[in-house]
Formats: sequence, structure tokens, C-alpha cells
Amino acid sequence: MTVLQEPATTGARPAQRRFDGARSLVAGAIVPPLLFCLLLALGWEIMARRLHSPLVPTVGDVVAALSRIVGSGDAFIQIGITLERIAFGFTVAFVVAIAVGTASGRNKTIRAFFEPALLLGLTVPGLIWALLCVIWFGIGLRTSTTAIALGTAPALIVSIMHGIRSIDTDVIEMAHVFRFSPLARLRYVWLPAILPFLLSGARLGFSHAWKVIVLVEIFGLSDGVGYQLNADFSAQDVASMLAWTVAFGITMAVIEYGLLQNLERYLTRWRKAAKV
Amino acid sequence: MSAPLNFFHVRKSYRRPGALVPEVVFEDFSLQLAPGELVALVGRSGIGKTTLLHLAAGLDTPDRGAVRIDGQGKPRIGMVFQQPRLLDWLSAADNIRVAIDAAGTDQRRGSEMLAAVGLADYAHAYPLALSGGQRQRVALARAFAIEPAIVLLAEPFSALDELTARRLRLLLQELRQAQAPTGLLVTHSTLEAAFLADRVLVLDGPPARILETIEIDLARPRSPEDPALFAFHRRIIAALKSTEPAEPLALLEKKRDLHAVG
Repeated sequence: MTVLQEPATTGARPAQRRFDGARSLVAGAIVPPLLFCLLLALGWEIMARRLHSPLVPTVGDVVAALSRIVGSGDAFIQIGITLERIAFGFTVAFVVAIAVGTASGRNKTIRAFFEPALLLGLTVPGLIWALLCVIWFGIGLRTSTTAIALGTAPALIVSIMHGIRSIDTDVIEMAHVFRFSPLARLRYVWLPAILPFLLSGARLGFSHAWKVIVLVEIFGLSDGVGYQLNADFSAQDVASMLAWTVAFGITMAVIEYGLLQNLERYLTRWRKAAKV
Repeated sequence: MSAPLNFFHVRKSYRRPGALVPEVVFEDFSLQLAPGELVALVGRSGIGKTTLLHLAAGLDTPDRGAVRIDGQGKPRIGMVFQQPRLLDWLSAADNIRVAIDAAGTDQRRGSEMLAAVGLADYAHAYPLALSGGQRQRVALARAFAIEPAIVLLAEPFSALDELTARRLRLLLQELRQAQAPTGLLVTHSTLEAAFLADRVLVLDGPPARILETIEIDLARPRSPEDPALFAFHRRIIAALKSTEPAEPLALLEKKRDLHAVG
């Protein structure tokens, strides 16, 4: 006769599940990228020691430079300035992209009208926008805001347009029959449906914005991460250049993992229900 | 609360992609639904049943003629689609709440209706966590929570297994006992038509016309096992058979003969 045994303690299960979950998070999401960074640092160190060149500083030199800019508070001030500029430009791009992307997604003629602009916007390098804006607007917030808006809006528009076109027409019909107000349609139908596209567009736009702002700051501004990079380039201080790049990379990682991914997880929590 | 739904001399045509001339679905089509009456439309696929529902729902407009819902103010329309068409990002309760918000009716109806369809414990569940039958129950609750003057039912249970569909038909009957909006039901299930409707219209065409009207004069609540229901069911089937095109049947028989010879 087979005797089926009851589990001894059912109360331990949630704790065990939490432990298993944390273990799989560490093993699956934290260890691999950490390992990559360690291997990269190791490879760089080997290369730097072999080359013995002031143009290829060791990991220790980069860490020392990083400690210096963080310790003096320069990193926070300059990264703050650059992020503020990105935020301004990105906000303008986002507002324009919402309007143009939504209209283009819903109307063929509007889509056709904006197509050349999108094609142009997607193919023109950020360097061109940076140069043109410095020439047109000189030194100031207008330069960085315009350059970032021009550089990031096309990718955002395309992303939002795809989001709008992917909305299930069945749901739109339902909203029509139940007489949802325009605001209710926007809040309960349109925005949640295009949210994944908005977030991926935001990511893409953010990375574009970073590339554009560095160029603007190199060519036409007297502070910010781009300016610091240019100053260190002029002084042939490669360790400091790498330290600024690492510092900004860490900032972007914090924004991505600490803000965007958590925001995405929260806003799309309903998807998890399908896995239950 | 219920309102009369009237179709007056409706003409509706569609131009299919690539077609030179538009296909006329309805030509001078009229139909009157009395307040509180539930009319079922049966007929071949593509005959225009769903088009009629879309015209009533305001999802489409007639080329000529008019669709009128008389009543005070702007009568509310509740609709149950073949698929539940819930907003996946909102909980069951919120799906009903936003419909009530749009209709401007009493918010308390939301929880009442969820309890009425047996989903009080699932108020905070997202649609993706619910079964197909549960989702359709939420859709039913949503349609009735707005206290509709008209309820439109577009093959509401055809995507469900027969046992669940049977339960939901009984539930729909209960909901209509509590509040009796005027109803228009499109279905391919003749038994469902006989069980739920006051009047079954067998459509033929194109253009669509009412071939036969069958009044289902059975007392409510009805039982799906009632033998009298099957008599009506047989009448609907007989009427539907007469709408079958002769040609495909003849072709089928010819094919069978050839097969027998071969």
C-alpha cells in the first residue's frame, strides 16, 4: 500500500518560495551582467599592463579618477546638469511624439504627410543636429533642448505610431458602444495599450538623447558631462574620460533598473495574471 | 427602463475589396422591437445579422432609412460580444466601473452585478487570470450594470464550451428577469434562440429579409429541458433548412454519386 505523506509544515512554503525567488534573481539577473563587467575590467587590465601606454590607463587609474570626481562632488553636479538638459529636450520630444505619433497611427494621410520628416529624422546623425543647433541658437538651454528633441522625437514617434496601430479594434468598438468619453478612452484604452511601446520608445529616446547632448556640450556649452569629456580629451587625460563615461553609465543603469524597469513592472502588472 | 428599438426602411451596402459593385445587405428592411422584448436573429453566415447589431449599436450607419431607439434622454446600450472584450489592464470590478462611469449610473451596481454573476470573490482579478466563462460573465455583468435600455447580444456564448454556455444562458435569463431591457440576439444556436427569445426571426437573402417569424410563447423562467422548447427548436430548424441554397446540395449529391461510381 502506498502512503501519501502530507508536507510537515505548510507554513514554511511562502518563506521557501521567497528564498528560491531571491536565489533565482541573483543567479539569473545579477550574476551574469556582473560577471561581464568583471571580465571586461580584467581584459582591460591585462591590455593596459601589456601596452604600458598613457593612452590606455589601468583599471586602478580609472577607479582613482572616478573616486576623485565623485569625492569632489563634480560627478553629481555635471551629471545633474546633463540630465536636466536631457529631461528638457526629452519632454519636448515626448509631447511632440505623442501628438504626431497618435495622429499618424490613426490616419493614413497624416502618416504619409510626416513620413519624409520621419525618414530624415531617423537618418540624420545626432552630430548634425548638435552642430546646427549650436550655430543657430548659440550657447544656452535652447540649443540642447532643440537638439535633443530633434534627435529623439523621430524614434519616439515611430514607436508610438506602432503602438497606436497595434490597438485591438474590438476594444475600441466596445468603448464606442459603452460611450466612453474621449478622456476615458485615452486613460483606459489608448494609453494602457500603447504603454509598452511608450516605454521602449522612452528607452531608445533616452539613449539617443545622451549621444546628442554629449556632442552639444562638446561643441557649444561650458559645463555638463560632454564638456568635461572634451576638457579631459584636450588634456589627454584618458583615465578621467573613462571615469566620466563609467559615472554616466552607472547613472543610466540606475535610471534603467531603478526607475524604468520598476515602472514598467508596476504598470504592466496585469500581464503577470496570465502566468498564474 | 427598456426602450423600443426600431429599424425603418434600412438600406445598407458594402463594397468588398476588389468588387466593382457594392453588395446590398439590407434593402428597405424594417423591424420593430417592443420595450422589454428579446428578438433573436438566426440565418446563414454573412446574411447580415451582425450588421444589424452594429447598426443598432451605432458602430455603423445605414445608407438610407433610420435606426431609432426611443426613450428619455440618450438610452443606454449594453452589449455582450462573442469575445468578452474586457480591458486586460483593469480588474473585473474596474472593467465594470469604467462602463458605469461612462453611463453615469449608480456605482454600487458594479459590485451587485459581480455578485449576481457569481464573481464577487474575483472583483480584483485581472481578466487574464479568469477562465473564458468567467470573463464572459464579467462582460454580462458590465452590460447589465449600466441599466441598459437596449442590450445587444452578438453570439455571446458561441466561444464557450456547451456546459458553460448553458450556465450562462440561464444566468442571462435571470438577469433579464431582474431588469428587462429590449434585446437583440444574434446566434447560430437555434436552441439558444428558442430558449432566450420572445420572437425568433429567420433571415434569408441577400438582401436580408425576414423569412419567418416564430413567436416563442413559453412562460418564464424557462427550462432548457422543457419539451415544448424543442418543438420551437424544430420549427426554427425547418425554417432555416428552407434557406439553404439548392446548388451546393445538388453539387454535394453529384459528388457523392461520382464517388460511388469511382
